[in-house]
Amino acid sequence: MVLLIKDEYPEKLFQENGKRLDGRDKKELRPIKMEVDILKNADGSAYIEWGNNKIFAAVFGPREVHPHHLSKPDKGILRVFYRMATYSVFDRKRPAPGRREKEISMIIADCLEPVLFLELYPGTAFEIFIEVIDADGGTRCASTTVASLALADAGIPMKSLVTALAVGKIDGELVVDLSGIEDKAGEGDLPIAITWFNDEISLLQFDGEMDLSELDTILKDAKEAAKKIYEIQVNTLKNKYISIQNNIEKEKGGED
Amino acid sequence: MEEEEQVSQENNEIEDEEASRELVVPGEVLTEEVQDFIPGRGTIFNKDKTKIISLHIGLKNINKNYINVIPLRGIYTPQPGDKIIAIVVDKNPVKYKCDINAKDFAQLKPRNTVKRMKSRIGKRNYDREELNTEKFDIGDILIVKVLSADRLNKPELTTIGKYLGKKNGGIVISIDPPKIPRLIGRNGSMIKMLKNLTKCNIFVTQNGRVWIKGDNIAYERLLIEAIYKIEREAHTTGLTDRMQLFIENEKKNRGIE
Repeated sequence: MVLLIKDEYPEKLFQENGKRLDGRDKKELRPIKMEVDILKNADGSAYIEWGNNKIFAAVFGPREVHPHHLSKPDKGILRVFYRMATYSVFDRKRPAPGRREKEISMIIADCLEPVLFLELYPGTAFEIFIEVIDADGGTRCASTTVASLALADAGIPMKSLVTALAVGKIDGELVVDLSGIEDKAGEGDLPIAITWFNDEISLLQFDGEMDLSELDTILKDAKEAAKKIYEIQVNTLKNKYISIQNNIEKEKGGED
Repeated sequence: MEEEEQVSQENNEIEDEEASRELVVPGEVLTEEVQDFIPGRGTIFNKDKTKIISLHIGLKNINKNYINVIPLRGIYTPQPGDKIIAIVVDKNPVKYKCDINAKDFAQLKPRNTVKRMKSRIGKRNYDREELNTEKFDIGDILIVKVLSADRLNKPELTTIGKYLGKKNGGIVISIDPPKIPRLIGRNGSMIKMLKNLTKCNIFVTQNGRVWIKGDNIAYERLLIEAIYKIEREAHTTGLTDRMQLFIENEKKNRGIE
């Protein structure tokens, strides 16, 4: 029997009780789980599960630049390689990097660059490899979040972590953290990245329609939601070391 | 035995602050009292100079009125005068290319490898054909001193000096460079303990490489495990005592005495 799945979006993006299709409130985030230091050979690495998104990030560097003509004599460069696995989306994705991958690699590099001290490492490159294993809306934001975590884990001097999330408008309502179906069927989609050094916005893309007054409201909501994600980032980084200390104390307690 | 030990200048930094072991992450505000404190190592002012902010994941340390962050992960930056372990990765008639675990490869020129020829002093008819520089091969492990190192140029090395030159035998292992001060301990207490208990020769260098040579392979294996354990638990308290207990227990379990 042939399985036919039509490429159709539901007419309404809200349930009758006012909740979203996956049962969330308007300003509720999807469940987020992060881990650091999971890849052995990388200098720093991190993993995130954000709703149905599953993303790995690995950081190498500073190291020599290949091809050499890309290196700059007065500062280091940051290269990001965002790639999606062939099985990460519903239709098989061709493995060759396309227009979308190159664009997302560029915007992630541009929004992480302000927090790094690249002028301390002239002639070298920092390289971030991001592999999307499973995608369901907002992968560029999740990738930025996990890439900054991997950079911090590698011990590279940074002014602050970077947190990103997508906000937008669906069925005339402003919502936080769009899922895949809301991203496609909604009216507006606005990925935003915040650097916590002076609370500056490092990335702002927009696709769709929205009033200027609505934009102000949604930016405030986005910042509040980003603070929750930032807390998870900080706790993940610290837990790696705190858990070792706790294990030792447990062993001590067991012996006594 | 020769005293092969490089006591770090930084080795007291982690040990001195037994009381404050606060973990901080990049971007975390260390203090808002800017009048009382000065940003030290691993810290920075924010734009309006109202806060002092951490740059690394590490331990907060207050020394007089300086606020420092001792990093837990990081890369080695060569400084002139450091004694480090280098691996020859390439050679040509004018220089050797060495891997020193930093962002650049270092170079070792033949004029910096001149042998000290005691036998030649006082001799009139020595063989002029004889080479007076040491020859190395790709893959050799050298103990070298950094002559010059800065942000822009490749570091330059030398093998002229006490204890410097090619190492034969032994094992080289790598750990995170920021954890080297913990491996040495306060005034070398940790490294002395390891040497006494495992009867091995250890040479610890600033770029995160440790050279080990013992009489017995069982002791060497135990020592390598102990060093990796120190690296993993570098931020915890009471490490030296715990390591002593660990090695004594393991010795009994493995039946080596």
